[in-house]
Amino acid sequence: MDKTRTFQLFGLTFNVGNMISGIVVALIVFGLVFYCSRKIQLKPKGKQNFLEYMIDFTNGIIKSTMPSGSTKDYGLWAFTLFYFILISNLLGLFLHIEVGGVVYVKSPTADPIVAMAFALMSLLIAQYSSVKKLGYKKHFETYMQPISYLLPINLMEELTNFLTLGIRVYGNIFAGELLAGLIAKMAFSGGVGMILVSSPLELAWQGFSVFIGCIQAYVFVTLSCVYVAHKLVVEE
Amino acid sequence: MFTHLIVGAEFNIGDALFYAALFLILMFGIKVVAWKPVTKMMQDRADKISNDIDTAEQARNKAVDLEKQRQDALANLQEEASKIINKAQQTGDKRRDSIIEEARSDAQSLKEKAQADIEQQKKDALADSKNDVADLSIEIASKIIKKSLNADDQKALIDSYIEGLGNNESN
Repeated sequence: MDKTRTFQLFGLTFNVGNMISGIVVALIVFGLVFYCSRKIQLKPKGKQNFLEYMIDFTNGIIKSTMPSGSTKDYGLWAFTLFYFILISNLLGLFLHIEVGGVVYVKSPTADPIVAMAFALMSLLIAQYSSVKKLGYKKHFETYMQPISYLLPINLMEELTNFLTLGIRVYGNIFAGELLAGLIAKMAFSGGVGMILVSSPLELAWQGFSVFIGCIQAYVFVTLSCVYVAHKLVVEE
Repeated sequence: MFTHLIVGAEFNIGDALFYAALFLILMFGIKVVAWKPVTKMMQDRADKISNDIDTAEQARNKAVDLEKQRQDALANLQEEASKIINKAQQTGDKRRDSIIEEARSDAQSLKEKAQADIEQQKKDALADSKNDVADLSIEIASKIIKKSLNADDQKALIDSYIEGLGNNESN
């Protein structure tokens, strides 16, 4: 595992590399959206079309998984989540900055804490939606459904939802980064021949990683929506 | 508890909080910069398109109505035009007949008048010539009488006349 530079604040540990990567991702997403949302017209052109396609895409995820009319409440969340995770997954593929053995810019989702943070956020939003819709009493009663002794199983389900959601994206991206790093090491392990052999390999693996990154972002958002929808639609 | 599953990973809670905050800030930024205006514009567009469809439907119905009206008016006009033409033809025929009739009667009366005039003139001429003849004969007679009648003869004539009167009384 790479060395990391950390600092302590308010008794919490912060990883500088993760922070920088996160800010880079946020800036890329915001910059893209900001650039595309200039001069919005009724008759869309070029970049506005692109932005509207992006919005339609995440709205489509919501429409296919959640009750109708949810795009108004959850559209922005799904949009931000999808593009943040998408760029997070892809960032490390083209931008990997290492200074003195310490990684400063990489895919944030290749770090489990980041992937888990997003998974926890989705879980919290699902809980919040449920409480907002049913009220606290009924919300906690849903854990006793259909029978009260299923409470541990229901709680376990929440935990596994959270864990699988986070670890799935982390595992995929981490593995992708790891293998990309290994191929890169192999390329510089000996002579020009190794570079010639490794370059197409790296190219292929990066292409595959882009595919994986997109799929994982899509899966993450879809599953988050499904968890929220599961809380919104109560089976009696 | 799960750290042994993830090779060499560090769980820095600070990072999780940092990402949560970053995510919220990014979400807010996107909302202000793009989400609100773009979704509003998309909604506006959807409204406009549905309005346009309605308007087009109305316009189409209106056009169909107008077309029907136009066709009806055209048919009416044709009917009316043929009526007018027929009427004009009838009036023309009547007028022609009356003109001919009038001309004929005028000619007839003119002819009669001319005939009457001729008759009158003939009569007048005859009367004139009768008078002329009478005057001439009287003149001639007076001339003859002036020349041949002397006092004896006059006396004899007067006598014979008076005799004649007496005869007439006795008769």
